[in-house]
Amino acid sequence: MQPTDDSVYDRFERARASLSGTQVAVGVALVAALGFALLFVQEPMLHDSLHNFRHSAGITCH
Amino acid sequence: MTTDHLERGALAGVGGGLTYGLFVATVGNSFTAGLETFEHGHGGGGPVVSGLTTTLASVGGGVLWGLLFGVAVFGVGYYLLEPALPGTGATKRLALAGAGFLTVSGAPWLVLPPQPPGVEQALPTETRLAWYGGLMVVGALVAVACGLAYRWTAGRSRVVTAAATLAPLALLAVPVVLAPANPVHGDVPAALVAAYRWTVVFGQALLWATLAAVHAWLGDPATTQVDTDYPATAD
Repeated sequence: MQPTDDSVYDRFERARASLSGTQVAVGVALVAALGFALLFVQEPMLHDSLHNFRHSAGITCH
Repeated sequence: MTTDHLERGALAGVGGGLTYGLFVATVGNSFTAGLETFEHGHGGGGPVVSGLTTTLASVGGGVLWGLLFGVAVFGVGYYLLEPALPGTGATKRLALAGAGFLTVSGAPWLVLPPQPPGVEQALPTETRLAWYGGLMVVGALVAVACGLAYRWTAGRSRVVTAAATLAPLALLAVPVVLAPANPVHGDVPAALVAAYRWTVVFGQALLWATLAAVHAWLGDPATTQVDTDYPATAD
């Protein structure tokens, strides 16, 4: 199914060729922001809203 | 090119997110609320939002949790790492799901196991946040090491390959030994803490299994083949 010379390096090269730096930056920023908000933000309103979720997911950092 | 991969990752994320949201709605919310009866006041005068807000936001958080991993791990991660993942079809997805579970939950839990409400931990929150984040990085590195070990021994007998692939997991003992002690105290019975912890473990396992299953069910995009002729440089 895959050509034998297909490698992780090729995939990175292909992604680099077809995506602009801005697209990558926006994507990484969105994923990081959502991950950070769900996992780590301690602001009381967000913390208390996500309280049951964080306990259910085993995120004990609060 | 990646659009098709991203779309499949997002679809897997929707499937996994809705499943996990349902888990939070049915099990997580009521289990957590029940365990809160063991809490002796936080000293802050209770939560700053209503119980309904917590219930709904937590279900939403569960859906986003699945969507996040669908897009990041199965949308982007699968596209980039597919050539290095072992096996074919569903095996590749399960390997990636295992790596994701190890990174996000497995490795951090070795030092900071899930604690139910009503259990107070000695380490300050900031310290635990730093350790949790650091252990996610360690988990990801160990998962990569497992993948490399698999690649190097793929030609050997099945037993050797399996043993070599799993060997890097032993590295996880290092942070466990180095981590500061985190004594806990609370009135939650030990059996209830165990039940809660295993519920959390099975919840996350369910999420990753659903992501892998939906993603495998969607199949491989035809563009993998077409893409091969794509010029590697833009100039």
